[in-house]
Amino acid sequence: MSIQISSDLQENIRNFEELFSDCEDIKKRKIKVGEHLDQDCYIAYIEVTLSSVDFKDSAVGKLLGKLRTLPEQDLTEYVKNNVMDISDSQPFGTLEDAAVGMLTGDVLFFLDGYNKALKIPDKGYPSRGVYETESEKVIRGSNEGFSESIKLNTALIRKRLRSPHVKVKESFAGRRTNTNVDLVYLKDLIHPEMLAEIEKRLGEFEIDGALDSGIIEQLTEKRKYSPFPQFQTTQRPDRAAMAILEGRIVLLSDNSPVALILPATYNTFIQTSDDYYSRWEIASFTRLLRYLASFLAMVFPGLYLAITNFHTQLLPTDLLLSLAAARQGVPFPAMVEVILMEIAFELLREAGVRLPGANGNTIGIVGGLIIGQAAVDANIVSPIVVIVVALTALCSFAVPNEEFATAFRILKFMFIFLCGTLGFFGFLTGLLVVLIHLSHLESFGIPYLAPFVGADLNGYQDERDTFLRLPLNYLKKRPVYTREGARTRLKLNQEKK
Amino acid sequence: MFADNWKISLRQIRRLFIMDIFGMSSLMIPGILSSMSGADGIFCLLLGMAGGVVLLYLMGVNLKHIKTDYYSYMKETAGQLLGDIFMVFYFLYFVTLSGYVLYHLTTLVLTWLLPEGSWLVVSLLLLLLGMYGSIRGIEGRARVYEIVFWFLGIPLLVMLFFAMSDVNTAYFTPIAASSLPAFFRGSVAVLVFLLPLSALMFLKPFCRKPEKMLSCGRMAMAAVIFLNAVIYLILLGVFGKNTMGILNRPVITLMGMVNLPGEFFTRQDVLMTAVWFFALFALLNTGIFQGTLILKDLCQMPGNRLGLWITAVIIFAIGKGFFEHGFLTEVFEIYQVFVALPGMFLILLVLLFLHWARAGRKAQKGVSG
Repeated sequence: MSIQISSDLQENIRNFEELFSDCEDIKKRKIKVGEHLDQDCYIAYIEVTLSSVDFKDSAVGKLLGKLRTLPEQDLTEYVKNNVMDISDSQPFGTLEDAAVGMLTGDVLFFLDGYNKALKIPDKGYPSRGVYETESEKVIRGSNEGFSESIKLNTALIRKRLRSPHVKVKESFAGRRTNTNVDLVYLKDLIHPEMLAEIEKRLGEFEIDGALDSGIIEQLTEKRKYSPFPQFQTTQRPDRAAMAILEGRIVLLSDNSPVALILPATYNTFIQTSDDYYSRWEIASFTRLLRYLASFLAMVFPGLYLAITNFHTQLLPTDLLLSLAAARQGVPFPAMVEVILMEIAFELLREAGVRLPGANGNTIGIVGGLIIGQAAVDANIVSPIVVIVVALTALCSFAVPNEEFATAFRILKFMFIFLCGTLGFFGFLTGLLVVLIHLSHLESFGIPYLAPFVGADLNGYQDERDTFLRLPLNYLKKRPVYTREGARTRLKLNQEKK
Repeated sequence: MFADNWKISLRQIRRLFIMDIFGMSSLMIPGILSSMSGADGIFCLLLGMAGGVVLLYLMGVNLKHIKTDYYSYMKETAGQLLGDIFMVFYFLYFVTLSGYVLYHLTTLVLTWLLPEGSWLVVSLLLLLLGMYGSIRGIEGRARVYEIVFWFLGIPLLVMLFFAMSDVNTAYFTPIAASSLPAFFRGSVAVLVFLLPLSALMFLKPFCRKPEKMLSCGRMAMAAVIFLNAVIYLILLGVFGKNTMGILNRPVITLMGMVNLPGEFFTRQDVLMTAVWFFALFALLNTGIFQGTLILKDLCQMPGNRLGLWITAVIIFAIGKGFFEHGFLTEVFEIYQVFVALPGMFLILLVLLFLHWARAGRKAQKGVSG
């Protein structure tokens, strides 16, 4: 049952201190206000969220200063009428709501004789500020990245989309963490059903703590057993803004620098921000490379096994002989050899990620050069397998989205097994399984393979931005994620005339 | 929301049917036609296509009268009993066809890709894959072939292009040398391979633009006949009619002989098997899907799962039968020519006649009333 804020300050203090007993990080101060310092008020805040150096200049400092100049009998009326002048301040009627307000990093203010608690913003929780993104690097374009503060992240999007149609819908996730979750979108572009769907899904679970957007992602995905992510993730505000301009919805979660974008398709995972900042020829070329990389990251070791173990007639005799010579002395069957090397590579990768920066790089050198060379010298693996595994790794790194690339890394082992046991038939079977799975997969009603499939839904326009990124003046229509009637993205002046 | 599952686009229908009828026809037709009518086989293809045009015409006229789905139309027009008999006929056609395709697909895999593999393992794997492909409706199935269409089509066209350099045009003669019965038998054989087009009749509830559905059937048929004609001419020019007649799957043999510039891959037959693997799988998938759907309608099953399992078991049994007893393939070929083919035409004609008769009676009642 919720506790109403009373006009009696003593009662409020009693209730509040009971609620926050044994919380040494929460500072609670009783302060005298009024021109004769004859009336009590009470402020509470989390230690680090209130600026101690510039207290006088802070919003709460200024309010207290003003209250000390007013007659005692006018204080309640003044607070009631004027406190909304302070940006983002908010009155709460119950103690629980007020407590949650304070826990978002603001100061809570109680005044004797006033039956509301005021939330007054100050510097809030410490955060990193705007830093350069560590993933999704681009050659051209902004390097700003999202941080852990949701307010900062929404501001970074707003900075890029200065339109009143950009809406930010706030909700909370996590029974105990009360994590802010914001849905950012352009109201005139999105399909309302899509917004309703994500809101419905957000309301379908109740969890103790939502510490990162990853938890929300997993709880709101429909096909939980699919290795393919159904939300696109990004740490780049420009990518998020670009998605919003396409009629997609961005989900931000407090304490997470990773934004979720919905809906997501195979094609959107392959696209990068600088695809649109660079000239179309190079953008198309790199796009093609990434598509090829995503495919090879999954099948290359498997294909190697299928061809060398089952269908040697495909290869020219010279190549075949050199492959056979390279394998001479290796005691393991080719499949075991490939699996060993792949596991070794995955271990190196995991170790490299967990170790701090400089050490991580060392692991790469130690693993790649020394262990690889030593394994070849010791006849544990053949040089060709090292090349195959290295090329596969390169391909997986060329996929711009880490979560998406992970799906191929996992499926690679399925292909190794299928091709190692069934040859090219295993390869075709694996390919069919993946294709059927992908063709069944949808993200918020959009086919995962769009616009390669179902392109008729948008008059085949979306196919202009797939394998090839046609010149920008051909990309006049927004993709199918945008609601019908709002799909014009580009109008050329001569066309207007 | 947007991906309205169970509804497919015209492009998806077109590609689905091209895959469906291309696989078996390109594997089998060259061998059949060369032994029956030699160089005249190309005209058999054209006459077979003419039969296909008639079939599509009859389908088109009937399709116009279908309000909801084909089964309801059959019951409405011919009554419950006849409607059920027709559905049983279609069910038998699709499951026997699928069994036959399963047998051929497995044999293809065992011949070209996995010579030491087990028939049981390969066929079961393929059947399970077919079930997986059908489980989430027609749209998921159509998407697979929409995606792979050009990935398979382009290499095939490239290979055919390079194969043309080995063509000896002297093999194209003599023309008009085959007997008339042999010529007609060849044409009927071609028409038999176009019969899977009749699945179009069941697609009306699943198509986004049903009014244009028939044109997809026509285009798919034209594309497949054109491809088959090209393949036939190349095979005839490369092997001659006598050699082609004794080759098991001459088109795949041809793929193994084509020399690509650069000569990195010495033989491409294994890689090119993918084209027929996907095409035959498409037809197997269609058979499983249609069989399940018909069984569901006939037995009024609440969901698809039970129907899917029953259909799959029947298909597997039929496929296994073909594998174990060679003579059954001949029985199936006789069934195709003497039962399935006339049956398809007859059903469409009967439905049309009954529909017109009903419409006439209604009009008469209207006048007399």
